Amino acid sequence: MRKALIILHKEWLELRSERTLWMTILIPPLLLTILPIVSVYLIGITPDEDAAQLGAVIADPSLAGLSEMELGQAVMGKQFGLMFLLMPLIIPSAIASYSIIGEKTRRTLEPLLAAPIQTWELLLGKCLASLVPAIVISWGAALTFVLALRLVVLSDRVHQAILSGGWWVLLLLGSPSLALLMVSATVAISGRVNDPRTAQQVAAVVVAPLLALFVAQLLGVVVLTPLLASIASAALAFLAALAFAGAIALFERENILTRWTS
Amino acid sequence: MTLQRQETLRSATHPPLAVPSPSMNAIETHELTRAFGERVVVERLTLAVPQGAVFGFLGPNGAGKTTTVRMLAALIAPTAGSAVVAGFRLGEDDQMIRRNVGLLTESPGLYERLNAQQNLRFFARLYDLDTARVATQTERYLRMLGLWDRRDDPVGSFSKGMRQKLAIARALLHEPAVIFLDEPTAGLDPEAARTVREFIKELRAKGRTIFLTTHNLPEADELCDVIAVFRTRLLRIGAPAALRAELFGDSVCIRIAGDAEPFLNVVRALPFVHAADADGDVLHVSPDNPDEHNPLLVRALIDAGAAIRYVEPREPALEDVYLQLVREGEPQERTYA
Repeated sequence: MRKALIILHKEWLELRSERTLWMTILIPPLLLTILPIVSVYLIGITPDEDAAQLGAVIADPSLAGLSEMELGQAVMGKQFGLMFLLMPLIIPSAIASYSIIGEKTRRTLEPLLAAPIQTWELLLGKCLASLVPAIVISWGAALTFVLALRLVVLSDRVHQAILSGGWWVLLLLGSPSLALLMVSATVAISGRVNDPRTAQQVAAVVVAPLLALFVAQLLGVVVLTPLLASIASAALAFLAALAFAGAIALFERENILTRWTS
Repeated sequence: MTLQRQETLRSATHPPLAVPSPSMNAIETHELTRAFGERVVVERLTLAVPQGAVFGFLGPNGAGKTTTVRMLAALIAPTAGSAVVAGFRLGEDDQMIRRNVGLLTESPGLYERLNAQQNLRFFARLYDLDTARVATQTERYLRMLGLWDRRDDPVGSFSKGMRQKLAIARALLHEPAVIFLDEPTAGLDPEAARTVREFIKELRAKGRTIFLTTHNLPEADELCDVIAVFRTRLLRIGAPAALRAELFGDSVCIRIAGDAEPFLNVVRALPFVHAADADGDVLHVSPDNPDEHNPLLVRALIDAGAAIRYVEPREPALEDVYLQLVREGEPQERTYA
């Protein structure tokens, strides 16, 4: 574990000086935080008579008894709340895709692999280097959303409906697992290709279930209860552990050295 | 597994010389072989590198030198054969081998956004140096290689020579028993190359074992105690002087006033001369026994009317030795099934 932290520290030192990369990392979370707050505020001042007919409203008991404008805010807020689960997927993609490719193209991989470091330590350090900033930024953005929401919602009930127990469980447990799943897959692919864009494609695949959840919640097919969110988080944690183990198994030191760096 | 290969006449008639029997060897390989698919890159390499020696591993591009180094540094596994490096068995104690060898790769492979200290400290920690030693070893090698004043500068701003020195420092930080240097002076300006050579000599003086691959033959001649000429398989191994003597024998140069060509037949007619040629005013002659036959040779030339200016032993360059061996060991198609 100590060597994984040494790798993480090195990655952090390198990332610190990558200003362009930080721009690409920080701009999406910034937009994804401002957009929901503004949208929730605007819908709170725009009456929507059809809001009560939405599947999401009919299926979700926490929305019962809200006024039309409150319902509009609650539905909008709940949908945008899912964006914060998406964030840990978007942020690490740029870092993770370069993790091994960067070492190969700069020809630093050979001296690195010549050092007494196990594959799991190397990959864990690389994954953490992508995960830690992603989670810190995502949770920071979520905290901003939570605090700002209090200023724009019409009532405490709307605030509670948007920030449901299920949402908190997914934010704190589910999204890091989902991010680890994506990062592990990206790092594994990064070891096998020389083009970071190929590795980044994996993010698009992992985002798909989240989009499904977005639509399902809007239609009222799924109501994100704490129990459901806990089950989903546990499943994601299991899948993430499998993905990390898979990344280790797929990382063939010898093949990467002789095939991709010569 | 069977090794399908065509033996060359040379390998059959000139087996590698034995390395002088050392008390302990830093590296020993036995029939070490590596194939990529069906292509054999390193074939049955058997050698021993004595502790404290500078071992020159010479061969043309694509000869399999880097693959050999990668195997010995436990980066890639052999297809067949065995090796012991720094006392640890390849394939069984790979982590210990990595811990006890230093590797200078063909390309320096440094983190350009990090400064010199950060680069070295990162690797020092990976090699399990404790916190105090991380700092002292980093400072020691940066000072030793003249980089201390630039320790806080990003490596991206370094010249090629400075990068190479930093990469050498990285290979030495953990005080490895065996150091692999892959083309350490390649692409360096003469001054930087000289600094690196002097540093290698210092390491040798301290008893480090150095496995040096290079194309720079004068450099190998200057630095190496033992040289192996390699082209997929070992063509010859021995001390530079021994290889010269074996391949070219003891020959003499006789400089004559005027053209040497007319005296070539006189020399060739002597029964103890087995080779002779003329080059301008110089005769290159190989007598059977120089101590005994040189006086007779000189007398014969004087009797034939030659005005001899001076006579000296002929010292063929290592390049001559290398080229002869490499040409004799022209590659043959080798497959591994």
